[in-house]
Amino acid sequence: MTTALPATAAPATGRPPRGPRGLTWTVLRLHRSALIVWAVVVLGGAAVLLWAYGPGADAAQAEWDRVCAGREACVWGDPIHDYDRLFRAAGLGLNWLPVLVAAWAGAALVGRDMENGTARLAWTQGITPVRWLAAKLAVPALPVAVGMTVLVLLHRLVSDAHPLSLGKWSWYTEDNFQANGTVAIAAPLLALAVGALAGLLLRRALPALVAALVATGALEELATVASRNLVPWETATGTGYQSPDHVIVQGPQGALTSTGARVPNPMCGDDGGTCLAAHDIVGYYTHYHPASHFWPLHLVETGLLLGAAALATAAAFCLLHRRTGAAV
Amino acid sequence: MTTALPATATPATDRPPRGARGLTWTVLRLHRSALIFWCLAVAAATGVLIWMYAIGDEARRGVGGCAEPVAVDGLPSCRAMEAVTADDTYRTFIALIAGALSYAIFAVAAWAGGALIGRELESGTAKLAWTQSVTPARWLAAKLAVPAVLLTAGTGAVTLLGLWARGDDDPNLVGDWYYPDVFLSTGPTAVAYPLAGLALGALAGLLLRRALPAAGVGFGAALVLYNVLERYRWEFWPTVTRAEAGGFELPRSAWQLGWADSLTRATFHPHSHFWPLQYVETCLVLTVAAVATLAAFWLLRRRTT
Repeated sequence: MTTALPATAAPATGRPPRGPRGLTWTVLRLHRSALIVWAVVVLGGAAVLLWAYGPGADAAQAEWDRVCAGREACVWGDPIHDYDRLFRAAGLGLNWLPVLVAAWAGAALVGRDMENGTARLAWTQGITPVRWLAAKLAVPALPVAVGMTVLVLLHRLVSDAHPLSLGKWSWYTEDNFQANGTVAIAAPLLALAVGALAGLLLRRALPALVAALVATGALEELATVASRNLVPWETATGTGYQSPDHVIVQGPQGALTSTGARVPNPMCGDDGGTCLAAHDIVGYYTHYHPASHFWPLHLVETGLLLGAAALATAAAFCLLHRRTGAAV
Repeated sequence: MTTALPATATPATDRPPRGARGLTWTVLRLHRSALIFWCLAVAAATGVLIWMYAIGDEARRGVGGCAEPVAVDGLPSCRAMEAVTADDTYRTFIALIAGALSYAIFAVAAWAGGALIGRELESGTAKLAWTQSVTPARWLAAKLAVPAVLLTAGTGAVTLLGLWARGDDDPNLVGDWYYPDVFLSTGPTAVAYPLAGLALGALAGLLLRRALPAAGVGFGAALVLYNVLERYRWEFWPTVTRAEAGGFELPRSAWQLGWADSLTRATFHPHSHFWPLQYVETCLVLTVAAVATLAAFWLLRRRTT
């Protein structure tokens, strides 16, 4: 080993020639168990989805042909249940992974290093705090983004090729919505930034874990609600509430007056006629997002999530700069 | 404060008279944020369930059959039924509490692995405690017993309140008895699952001796237990098979497991199997909890002697 040293040693006056690579390597090495877990999660998820796409779908189709084809009613057996269970488990996993990333980023990536002082030690070893945080954020961001992209593409592949047309499996349903688009890739990146910020703020692993988990969940929910209202709703009107087909989400409902104004439902109850006339109600409306709004909804929500991630990252660097101002 | 000291000080030759109470107090004080969180969660669930009980009758008016265009034969008019909004609120909050009870095991397991045991072993405060006349076994016993009592009291109270708030168990409002969330939140399983989470988390903490890996492994173990039991729940009691020539229908209260011979033979659990299924699953979960606890004590003894 000693003979190899001169090759990598740098002149004391210059920067270390392989500085970034060295720091990247440090981050990867420090968080190697997380890297292994992530690889297992991504490979496991990919295996489940590929199984569903191939043998799972074939078995489900065969079961359908065997017990259900040409019948009015039927109760199918295990092959379709197993397909359903694994497909939905994959979707559920994709929707919950961001929260796990947040917990890890808050606790293991930053919080623990702050709590036991290893961050401070690193800052004395020729690594500025800013470069330390940049590496902490950039190194996990790449495998997270790549892994999620692979899983989302596979999920879309399965969603587009379901053997039977069960409504709950459709690619645009609310259950599958997030796992089929860019939101699933942006959400864990937000989780990473929020986790790092929580770790820097609280400087303790377990409290940062809880804070990052809660904050990421809340921000995701907020972005979902906001994007639904930012993309203009489609409106269905009629003499009662309508339920249009191929809907991703149904929005607010209400009543229509003869001038076309949208008012809250007066809840007329039994004495319908006179009460409706008194309120000048001629019909009802329902706001909804049809399947064609899939990409507008995804892109708006992705934008919101990435914007929040950028803000959280900026706040983390600001905080670090203020704390270590003298040292930089 | 100094004047109070002689009253609690004990002769050096004797055991501290309030030893157990002191250790209990230590555990409560050390994990006070978890204690506060648990008290707030139980209080919030209690408040929500009392509110649900209060709007229960109103909610039941919003589901069921209705007549168009005006009320007939005791059926309300559909317009009147549509105007009732309490049923949505009721359904949402009853489902929320049921979900919280059935998923509590995950949070408890992660907390027990990370904060309760793992952090203490990682930072060495456990070793410090063992030098302060608290034996390792008594330390672990207190660490497990105090949260176990609080968990049992909290989940037990919320489960009983939930049964009370559910009223007549209309499946249109509170879900069918065999839905996973409903099943796990309406019987003794609601108490047993978090206890198993506590034991699994503690075992993970003792095994790994580090907070974050133990939290992750405790969470993972709870996830495996939950999913395995959900997959095989229907096998914990013999099913009923009914066959009739020409086919038949089963009531909604039957947990249908499979049909054969072109819909003339059905395998299912009738509603009356709820309690046997609950008892068997509770026993299984408590056995897992007991085995994990024994393993934790055994591991601790091997490590510290």
